[in-house]
Amino acid sequence: MIYFVNDVITGALIGLLYALVAMGFVVIYRASKVFNFAQGELVILGGFIVWYTTFTLGLDLWLSIPLSLLLSALAGYLIERIFLTKLIGESVFSMVMVTVGLLILLRGVILLLFGPAVRPFPIIFPLRPLFIGELLIPMNLLIGGGITIVAAIGLSWFFNHTRRGLRMTAVAEDHVVAESMGISVQNSIAVAWMIGAVLSTVGAMIYLSGKSLTFLASDIGFAALPVALFAGLESIGGLILAGIIVGVAQSLATSYLDPLVGGSVGSVIPYIIMLAILLIRPTGLFGWRTIERV
Amino acid sequence: MDPSGIFSTSYRSDRRVVRTRWQALLLALLLVLMFSAPYLASPRIVAILNVMLISSVVAVGLQICTGYAGQINLGQAAFMGVGAYTASLLASKTGISFLVTIPAAGVAAALFGFLFGLTAARIKGFYLALTTIAAQFIFHFAVLNLPGSWLGGSNGVTVPAATLFGFRIVSETSQYYMMLIVALIMVAGAFGIVRSRFGRAFVAVRDDDVAAGIMGINVPATKANAFLIGAFYAGVGGAMWAYLIRFVGVDQFTLFNSVFFIAMIIVGGMGSIVGALVGVFVIRMIQEVIATVGPNLAEAVPFLGGDIVFAGMNVVLGGVIALFMILEPRGLMHRWNILKSSYRIWPFPY
Repeated sequence: MIYFVNDVITGALIGLLYALVAMGFVVIYRASKVFNFAQGELVILGGFIVWYTTFTLGLDLWLSIPLSLLLSALAGYLIERIFLTKLIGESVFSMVMVTVGLLILLRGVILLLFGPAVRPFPIIFPLRPLFIGELLIPMNLLIGGGITIVAAIGLSWFFNHTRRGLRMTAVAEDHVVAESMGISVQNSIAVAWMIGAVLSTVGAMIYLSGKSLTFLASDIGFAALPVALFAGLESIGGLILAGIIVGVAQSLATSYLDPLVGGSVGSVIPYIIMLAILLIRPTGLFGWRTIERV
Repeated sequence: MDPSGIFSTSYRSDRRVVRTRWQALLLALLLVLMFSAPYLASPRIVAILNVMLISSVVAVGLQICTGYAGQINLGQAAFMGVGAYTASLLASKTGISFLVTIPAAGVAAALFGFLFGLTAARIKGFYLALTTIAAQFIFHFAVLNLPGSWLGGSNGVTVPAATLFGFRIVSETSQYYMMLIVALIMVAGAFGIVRSRFGRAFVAVRDDDVAAGIMGINVPATKANAFLIGAFYAGVGGAMWAYLIRFVGVDQFTLFNSVFFIAMIIVGGMGSIVGALVGVFVIRMIQEVIATVGPNLAEAVPFLGGDIVFAGMNVVLGGVIALFMILEPRGLMHRWNILKSSYRIWPFPY
């Protein structure tokens, strides 16, 4: 029983981490209608920025963390400026295809800049897990879960209640209409990519804290995809619930199904959930039901 | 547009692929060149051509799915893998001829693709692309976790040589002819598909699926069909790959490879079968150049070691996709068409 409870708690916390990475997808989608396939690459880019500022520049953590967040926001801005600004007015299809290109371009650029070696990642959160009775909770995930919930509430409020957030939502509705109402599409997309890149970097810090940094870390981007779909691509608050459900399902599958079939069911469970969602309720739990007109 | 003096007087002549005598002549010349390539070119070039022929079958399939029907497909490599595994298992366990296994591989991949295309009944727009990512991961999971005696797990499967009337197709030249003939059949079929009722439905759905639905096109079925056909082509390509390399492993069919095929159709031009072929040629040539130059570069930048080829490939392909989407989203074929119409209407500017 204690194992079960432990699995559920760890699963829920991992799910919250997925939700944080998925938030990157949702913010970018919510502000530009572009589905960013390169989210996982943004996570490793963030990881490398953190590694660079702490180890190569040798800064203390309290200095390097804000600096990394700043640098990743800059990276997000640059990506938007170089690749996406010029596509405003083209179909959304082109923008999505560019993110597919970014998926491998970013990976290649990171390889060229930093090389293929496995790197240590700074210990940002205490390594010692939290013990409650017999329960064992990893500290990085616990604090990360807290960050996710705060970020979700904050961003949800931002998009639903501030003038700026509502403007960005209008851009997701229709680029041309938004532009003609005096809303800067370019500005909105730039802000979205900056937020998306910062969220990815925070995700990388939580995910990799005290572990080693390799390119395998980008898999978390695709693992977070089902969470974004489950919540519905427009809902930020819904990510928390969806993340917990997907995380718990994955954790339980790893503990109880893996021994039966010889491993890694846990890693495909999110995708199977994703297929099921797409078949049963394509808008997700809290997504918008849109009416299309010709 | 057609050159002066060529008019379509019937529907039949309007849907012809070869429209002028020059085109017929050039096509015949190309075919002669293709068939005599093993005698004209070095074995290394023939080996490159073999891979190009396989890629062209897979890329043409993707062109129908993405370029014509507008469904982004990030799982083309997985579909190709399903075909490769089907062909290799059929060939090694039952020993039947490649004349059966290649179509069977196509059908198996098509069924796998159809499974993911089915979600089209409920989904609109880009969500559909996401199921193809799921296809990629589920394919890897299935190969690595099914019992090793079925699919060979991470060790891969070796494939017996293709035989025809007792003749073993193992030499580079004989393999080349096998690949060439299969590729020709598939490409000719693609020209037929895109000019047919299905092809027109694909284009209508791509341009506006709501409007297409109002005009009486069954939109979900059309999308599922697009996946079915695209995956069939990938499966056939996979089977060809299995017979060429004679070894099938799960690492040959990754998301990276899928993005490769996407790069091919973007460079060539979306919505054009010839464009897909041009894209295959350009991208494979770029790959060859990087693979040849890579080792020299690796000496210049030692800390990257052997990874520079892979890294360079990523940067160049990703860059090529982004550049083309920004500068010429309609690809090289569109440029060629502009050139063509400008010399056809010469000396008039328009």
